[in-house]
Amino acid sequence: MNAFGYLIWTSWRNRFLGTLKRVRSPRYAIAAAVGVLYVWSFLFRPMGRVSPGATSFFFGHPTEMLITLLVVVTLMGSWIFGGDSTALAFSQAEVSILFSAPLSRRQLIMYKLSRSQIAVLINALVWVFILKRGGTAIPSPLRVIALWVLFSTLSFHRLGAALVRSAWTEHGGVGAKRHIASIVVFAAIGVMLLIGLFNGRHELAAAHTAGAFFTALGVVLSAAPAYWGLYPFHLVVAPTFAQSSAEWTRAIVPAIVITILHAWWVLHTDAAFEDAAIAASAARAQRVEAARGRRSVGTAAPRATKSTIALAAGGHPAVAILWKNMLCLRRTSQLRVFIAPLIMSIAIGWGVSSDALLGTAGTFAVGALVLAAALLLFGGRLLRNDLRHDMQHLPLIKSLPVSPHHIVLAEVASSALPLASVQTGLVLAAYAALSADPAAPFTPGIRLALAVASPFAVVALNGALSTIQNATAVLFPAWVRLGPQVSTGVEALGQNLLATVATLIALVLSLIVPIFVSAIAVFWLHETRAVAVALIVIISAGILAAETYAAMGYLGRALSRAEPLQTA
Amino acid sequence: MISVRGLSKLYGSFTAVRSISFDVGAGEVLGLVGPNGAGKTTTLRCLAGIISPSGGEIVLAGHSLANDPIAAKRALAFIPDEPHLFEYLTVQEHLRFIARLYGVVDVEARMPGILRELELTEKAASLPGELSRGMRQKLAIACGLLHDPSVLILDEPLTGLDPGGMRRMRETIAARAASGAAVILSSHLLNLVEELCTKLLVVRRGEAAGYGTMDEIIAAHPDLAGKSLEDVFLSLTSETPAGM
Repeated sequence: MNAFGYLIWTSWRNRFLGTLKRVRSPRYAIAAAVGVLYVWSFLFRPMGRVSPGATSFFFGHPTEMLITLLVVVTLMGSWIFGGDSTALAFSQAEVSILFSAPLSRRQLIMYKLSRSQIAVLINALVWVFILKRGGTAIPSPLRVIALWVLFSTLSFHRLGAALVRSAWTEHGGVGAKRHIASIVVFAAIGVMLLIGLFNGRHELAAAHTAGAFFTALGVVLSAAPAYWGLYPFHLVVAPTFAQSSAEWTRAIVPAIVITILHAWWVLHTDAAFEDAAIAASAARAQRVEAARGRRSVGTAAPRATKSTIALAAGGHPAVAILWKNMLCLRRTSQLRVFIAPLIMSIAIGWGVSSDALLGTAGTFAVGALVLAAALLLFGGRLLRNDLRHDMQHLPLIKSLPVSPHHIVLAEVASSALPLASVQTGLVLAAYAALSADPAAPFTPGIRLALAVASPFAVVALNGALSTIQNATAVLFPAWVRLGPQVSTGVEALGQNLLATVATLIALVLSLIVPIFVSAIAVFWLHETRAVAVALIVIISAGILAAETYAAMGYLGRALSRAEPLQTA
Repeated sequence: MISVRGLSKLYGSFTAVRSISFDVGAGEVLGLVGPNGAGKTTTLRCLAGIISPSGGEIVLAGHSLANDPIAAKRALAFIPDEPHLFEYLTVQEHLRFIARLYGVVDVEARMPGILRELELTEKAASLPGELSRGMRQKLAIACGLLHDPSVLILDEPLTGLDPGGMRRMRETIAARAASGAAVILSSHLLNLVEELCTKLLVVRRGEAAGYGTMDEIIAAHPDLAGKSLEDVFLSLTSETPAGM
C-alpha cells in the first residue's frame, strides 16, 4: 500500500472505530439502536416483489433524459456559481505535510480524487436502497456500480470545474486560455441545450398540464441538438436506469469511459492547483482552528462587511447570542443552496396551477406556498447558524454567564426566526395574490383566518424542527457534522434525505398532542368557521411551542453537561 | 476570591485531577505549573465552568460555581492558550457581544481605550481571519478584560505575543492583581511565574505536588532550599521523588 492509500485507509478506520467506541455511552447506544431500526425500516424492510414487467415512475426514457438534464444543470451550477470549494480543500495537516513533501501536483490531485471515493461509495449505497423502493429488476451490486460511476463523474466534474475556475480567477485571461478547451466544450453543451429548448418552445408551450410538459420536455431533450449536448452525461446516467443485466452490461462500459475521461481531465487541469487548494484550505483553517482534532468542516469563509447590526449594551444577555448568530447568517449564508428549492417551487407551482386552471395570481400563490413548505422541510438543513455551528465554540459558549436553557433558546431562535419570517412573508404574499383570483380555494374568511394564524404556526413548526436539529448537535456532537457549511452535490443527497425524513418523523411525534387537541376542538365546534379555524391553528401552535420549550430545558441540561472532548 | 476544595475530574477510569484544594485571595497571583498532561488545563477548564468536576467545590467571588454558575461566571474571565473567537464577528463586534453578555453598558466609551491598550485600534473592523496569531490572542485578552473581572484565569497568556505585547501583558496582569483581582496564571515560562506569582501550585499526574509561597514549599521540602524555581519545579514533578 502506498503512503496515500495508507493515509486514507487508516484515517477511515480510526474514524470508524472512534464512532463505534461512542456506542459504549448509553445515549449513543440508544441512538445507534434507533438508527439501525430506522435504516432497516426505511431501506431494508421487505418489500413486495417487483413483477418482471413492472417499472416504477423512476424509470423510462423521458425520466432518464430529465435526470440527465438535472445532472447537466447541476454541473452548470458548478461552472457558473463556483461550485463547491470543498472539492479543493485540504486539511491544515495535509497542507503542512503533503504540500511540503516531495510529491507532484498530480499525485496530490490523485490523492484528493481517491479520498472522495469513500463518500461517493457510501452515498451510492444509500441511493441504491432508496431507488429500490421504486422497483427495479437489476441486482443491487450492479446498481451500486452504476451509481458509483455516476457520482464519481459528478465529483470529478465539480473538481475539474473548480480547478478551471480557480485558474481563471487567479490568472485571468492567461488562466482561461490554458483551459480554453474545457470551457469551450462545456459552453457548447450549454448552447446545444438552449438551442434545443428554443426549437421545442412550441411543444413546451402547448403542454397545459405538468405531466404533459415533462413529457414534452423529455421529447425535446431526446432530439438534436439538445441530445448531442446531453449525450456524454446520458451515457453516465444510463446504467442507473438499466432495466436488465444485459442492458446494464451494454451501458456500463461507455459510462466508465466517460468517468475515466473526467479523471484524466482533472489530472491534467492542475495549473492553478496549489494556489486554489491553499486558498480553499486557508478558509477552512479559520474554522478548523477552533475545532482542532475534529473531522473536516466546510470552507465558506465569512465575508468581510462594512455594515453591522446594532446591539444595545443593556438587556437580556441571551439576545447577544441571537445577534451574533444573525451576523453569522448574514456573513456566511450560501444563497446558492436556496436555488434548488426556488426552482422546485416554481415548477411545482406552475404544474399545480396549470392542472387546477388557476390564473397568474394563483400560480404565484401556489409557488409561494410551495416555497414556504420547502423551506419548512429543508430550510433547517440549509441554515445552520445555531448550535450546529456553535458546538465548535463550546469552551467559549460554556464560559458565558448565560443559563444553558437561554443559550439553547437563543440558538434555536437564530435559525428558526429567519425561516419563519420568510415563510410568513410568502404565506401573506400568497394570501394577497389569491384575493385577486376568483378560482381561489376556500372562502375569503377561511383564507384570512389561515393568513392570520400562519405566523404562529410557522414559528412553532420552525422552532420544533430547529430544536430537533440542534438536539442532534448537543446530544451526539461526535456523530454529526458541525459547522456552517451545507453539504451539497448529488453525492450528499442520500444522507440528507435520510436525515430530513428522520427529522420529520420526530416532528410528527411532537405534533401528536396538538393534532389531538385540534381534532377535539373541530369536533366540539362542529363547523369550520373562520374564527374557529384561526383559533385551532393558534392553539395547536401554542401547544407545540410549549412542548418545544420543555425540550429546550432538557437540551439546556444536556448542554451544561457537554464537554469539549465529547465533540472530538 | 477563589476557593477550591477537593477538586477531582475523572474521564472514565482515568483520573485527570485528583482532590486538589487551593485558595487565591484578592490581589494574589497563583502560578499553576506542571509538566505536559499534568492536569493544568483540566483544572482551569473546571474553574471556568467549561467542564463539570467529578467531585469537589469551586467558589468564585463568593458564588458557588455549581449552585450559582451565572453569578460566578459573571465575575470571571478565562483567557485560554488558544484564542476562541467567532470567525464572523469583527474585533469591535466581539467587544460589543461580550459587553452585552456581561452588562458593560459603557462599552462604547471603554472600547477605544482597550483597543489602544492592546494595539487593535486599526484592526477594529477586521474579522479574526484577517488577524495574526498574536492579534487574535490580544483580542481574546481584550474580551476577557472588558468587564473588569474580579477573577482572572490565564492559560499560557503570552503565547503568540511579540516582545512588546509580552511586556504589556505582564504589566496588565500585575495591574489587575494590584487592583484587587484574584489571578491564576498557568504557564511553562518559569521566569514569568517567578516574576508575577505570589504563590505556586505544582501539579503532577493530576495531584498537587506542592502548594504555597516559595518559602512554604521549601519549608515542606527542606532539601530544595537555595535552589532555583526551575530546580524546584523539576524536583517536584520528576517521576522519581526528590531525595531518592
